[in-house]
Amino acid sequence: MLLNGARGAALLRVRGGGKNEMEHTMAVSLRESVQLVSDPRNLDASVEEVFQLMLGVDCRRDGVFVLDEQQSVTAVVGFGGLLSGACVFKSGSSAAMKIAAHMTGMEFSEIDDTVKDGIGELCNMLAGAWKGKVPNLAANCGLSVPAVITGRDYHLHVQAPEFKLNHTYRFDDASFEVTIICDGLQ
Amino acid sequence: MSEVRTLIVDDSSVMRKIVERSLRQAGLDPLVVYEAGNGAEGLDMLKAKQVDLILSDINMPSMDGLEFLRQIKAQNLAPGVPVVMITTESSEEHVKQAILAGARGYIRKPFTAEQVKERVLSLLHAA
Repeated sequence: MLLNGARGAALLRVRGGGKNEMEHTMAVSLRESVQLVSDPRNLDASVEEVFQLMLGVDCRRDGVFVLDEQQSVTAVVGFGGLLSGACVFKSGSSAAMKIAAHMTGMEFSEIDDTVKDGIGELCNMLAGAWKGKVPNLAANCGLSVPAVITGRDYHLHVQAPEFKLNHTYRFDDASFEVTIICDGLQ
Repeated sequence: MSEVRTLIVDDSSVMRKIVERSLRQAGLDPLVVYEAGNGAEGLDMLKAKQVDLILSDINMPSMDGLEFLRQIKAQNLAPGVPVVMITTESSEEHVKQAILAGARGYIRKPFTAEQVKERVLSLLHAA
């Protein structure tokens, strides 16, 4: 799975504001605040906020993510601008259907387009909430539209990231994994 | 409250449903909802339907929410109708761009039904 498409789309979005915005972007750096940007508590707070507000469920950090189903659902939202990388959500199919059910009030028996749409939107909100925790990041980092992948036996690989946060969470009896990958920081 | 005709523009059908549910929870009843998946579809809808309220995402394929706002103004569609942006983009710069493009309100995702109620009802009462 390649991140370049999502990241490129996010970069185009952050550059969409024209010359003045670019000048502003170039004057700001995240290098000196890398500790703040990579603070794992920001990711936990973002996940808890999104699940509480949009699904009405309490979500807590859990141990290691174990995928005990053959089919999984992965959503990717790219970051572009001062920070490049991606927010990646991954769960088994039953957790994905449970999340979509909470979001829509509907019941699902398969990973259909509505489930994929819901998981993509969830990942979009996670990415937005996470970057919103750091003001310079919120203003100077764009988001791509979500890409959703379903299937089995696939692996996400990013070469030598600047930093990576990889947390597992649980609500009810469902677990999922959220990963923030930063492969470029200005 | 009389019938509120609302256009919801978002590339996510799930998010359109969530926004509609939030509007109903806010007490907007009777509510007539028109949906569009991006700004271009939103403009087509505005040419065909009269609405009292527009809620739009920003990050969308084909035509994003800011361009949608600019086109509403340029084509003089829905004059006087309040537009509220509902988006994950929450920086002051994004809010400023949206207000300059014609938005009257801004709601950050994730949101509560109470936040939607607060923003939307004040705009409808002012309109």
